[in-house]
Amino acid sequence: MNDLLNRHWDVIVIGTGMGGATLGRALAEQGRSVLFLEKGRQGFRGERQGLSAAVADPVARAVRGYWPDKLEGKVNGQQHTFFAPLGCGIGGSSVFYAGTLERPEPHDLDDSAALPHPVGGWPFGWHEMVPWLEKAESMYRVHGGSRAPDPNLSVPDGSADKPSADDAVILKRLQTNGYQPSLLRSAISGHRDCLECRGTKCPRVCKMDARSAGIEPALASGHAALIDQCEVIAVRGDASRIRHVEAIHRGQHLRLSADRFVLAAGALSSPRLLLASRSEDWPHGCGNAHDLVGRNLMFHLNEMFAIWPRTKGGTSVPSKSVGLRDLYSIDGQRMGMVQAMGINVQYGEIAHFLKERLRATRFPQLAQLTPLAAWPASKVLGQAKLFVGLLEDLPYQHNRVYLDHAQPSRICFEYSMAPELLQRRKLFRRAIHSAFKGMRPVFVGWQPELNYGHPCGTLRAGSDPRTSVLNEDCRVHDIDNLYVVDASFFPTSMGVNPSLTIAANALRVANLLMKTKTT
Amino acid sequence: MIDLKKGAAVVTGAGTGLGRALAIELARQGVQVAGFGRRAELLAETSKLAGPRFTPVRLDVGDPDAVKAGMDEVSRALGSVSLLINNAAVYPRLDFLDETPESFMQSVAINLGGVAACSHAALGQMVEKGYGRILNVSTFADLAPIPASSAYSVSKGAARILTRALVADICDRFPDIVINDWMPGSLATDMGIAEGLDPALAARWGVSLALWHDRSLTGTVWERDTEQLPMRSLKGRIKDALLMRKRKPRILK
Repeated sequence: MNDLLNRHWDVIVIGTGMGGATLGRALAEQGRSVLFLEKGRQGFRGERQGLSAAVADPVARAVRGYWPDKLEGKVNGQQHTFFAPLGCGIGGSSVFYAGTLERPEPHDLDDSAALPHPVGGWPFGWHEMVPWLEKAESMYRVHGGSRAPDPNLSVPDGSADKPSADDAVILKRLQTNGYQPSLLRSAISGHRDCLECRGTKCPRVCKMDARSAGIEPALASGHAALIDQCEVIAVRGDASRIRHVEAIHRGQHLRLSADRFVLAAGALSSPRLLLASRSEDWPHGCGNAHDLVGRNLMFHLNEMFAIWPRTKGGTSVPSKSVGLRDLYSIDGQRMGMVQAMGINVQYGEIAHFLKERLRATRFPQLAQLTPLAAWPASKVLGQAKLFVGLLEDLPYQHNRVYLDHAQPSRICFEYSMAPELLQRRKLFRRAIHSAFKGMRPVFVGWQPELNYGHPCGTLRAGSDPRTSVLNEDCRVHDIDNLYVVDASFFPTSMGVNPSLTIAANALRVANLLMKTKTT
Repeated sequence: MIDLKKGAAVVTGAGTGLGRALAIELARQGVQVAGFGRRAELLAETSKLAGPRFTPVRLDVGDPDAVKAGMDEVSRALGSVSLLINNAAVYPRLDFLDETPESFMQSVAINLGGVAACSHAALGQMVEKGYGRILNVSTFADLAPIPASSAYSVSKGAARILTRALVADICDRFPDIVINDWMPGSLATDMGIAEGLDPALAARWGVSLALWHDRSLTGTVWERDTEQLPMRSLKGRIKDALLMRKRKPRILK
């Protein structure tokens, strides 16, 4: 341990989710010395739990790799305190993901006349990203998919991926309705003895996530090391350079130094760390000269719906492979991808869901009746295929993560839904309803639901320091050796799961770090 | 399918009574079984009866360091431990006034501490591979303690709580580590009563339950060969009646 602490590293990576782990592996395998710092615990390799809001004790949550504390969010002016579906451990939230690694569309990054980009485009374009998307797909062994967004791309052959009988029926019906559904691209092997750990930790290495495809190979390279249960509380340095990080490891204060620092604590945490790093040089926090750190917070809206496709037999198998990009944009408006969730609904989840819903109504006492309502609901929903439409969220300065100096470990945010978002939502729901015609689609929930598992945008990348925190290399403007590779950099939230794009960008930034010498 | 017969089994208190019978039955069914016990000559006797699949390990389950070392020894000799039967217990017939606080806590160290130490050591191996089986030999002695049984009732009752606590801590993360309680009933052993059940018969049930690897067994309580269904609240019973759900206890074959 002392060897780790006293050493001067080439790179210190804060956080071991998709961004940090992917970048760290790329650097370590090219011979750079990399130290990963992870707030959560190492855990055991045989674990199989999924995320759960029912486990409420912070210690029990930390042991399971869940984010230990409740979030405090002011949503549309109303204060909420709740557990979000966030991981905290080796691999971050990715160890709990469903392994759907879909590409964005070119218009997610690029501006065009047909579909003007909300911020004029990302600072690096679609064609610059394509090779990194391909590299990330190969690193995460992504397979499946029958229709790539760009026909010129070399997509790994997905012929081995066959949809289940039920999914085949759904695909057929969508085609009959005039749509072009595709098979989802997955990082779960699906081999004969694969446990198909959608939403749960994989005890083997057949689900490729930031742990199995990032941290573990990085450590195996012999050039990387990891300290778990290590919460970084500040970065320290002078006007243009980070010298060291301050961290707390099992109650002990640590100071760790490196040539370069990569922040990858997640879009809800990386900005808090910069805000906590106040100094004479950075009176408002590191990188925050223009009061942009933590701003432009985006989530997706989750439009969850159930369908009953009237298949013969075997309907308890969850649909897992159907994706639909036809609604990604409608009439020049940004929507997003529709996809199978791949997870069966359980009685407990329905009860919890109904309870939370009823608590938010004018009749919170009805929440006590949920067990009665949930039982028939589970009988019915248990046979349903659950799908979700991800609706792109657009950046607004007033939506932000902020730091509560009295409790700096706490995730606090404020967010309000823009009228245009609610307008697009209406359109999106109508479009989903007609796409799934004949399969009796029913939306689960009527209130707009934020996807707290997809936060992004809080340290925007751009070319102008007055409107962005990071430059096009994802380096903090005016600081020579501090990079950010989690979803904080996203200028816009895109209409797709963020994981693959985070990984691709991390490989892009790792390449830049390999090319440039430190000064 | 997880076949517990392929891994190593550990039975505690294997030198006497039910523990010996369990070890013999496991060996008879082809399982590599290690027997923990304090007295070498009694373990040697079990060895003779159980045959070459039995490995005696002399230790006191009340000594956590010895348990850790013993469990490591088993995994080196027989492979990673897949099954643990926590059977070892002491039952000193003593009025509470005749106990000393020290003697009382000695019983707790074996009947509760032994279960904690053995489970902890075995779980260390089970969590790495993600599956395993722990069967705790239990009793209803905690429900209405009879005279001259304070240390036994308290420690065995606490061990039942430990089973439930282990389920809470372990089984959501490791659904294939199956943990439950089994009450063999009154046996014709030194600890039991003369007119009790033949330990060899009880052992057939115990081994059948121990080798049964099914997630739905986690947290269940079995008496002899029959599942004991948990008490239902009035509300629960009404709901069952309304939904015409009959709860049926499972019985060992």
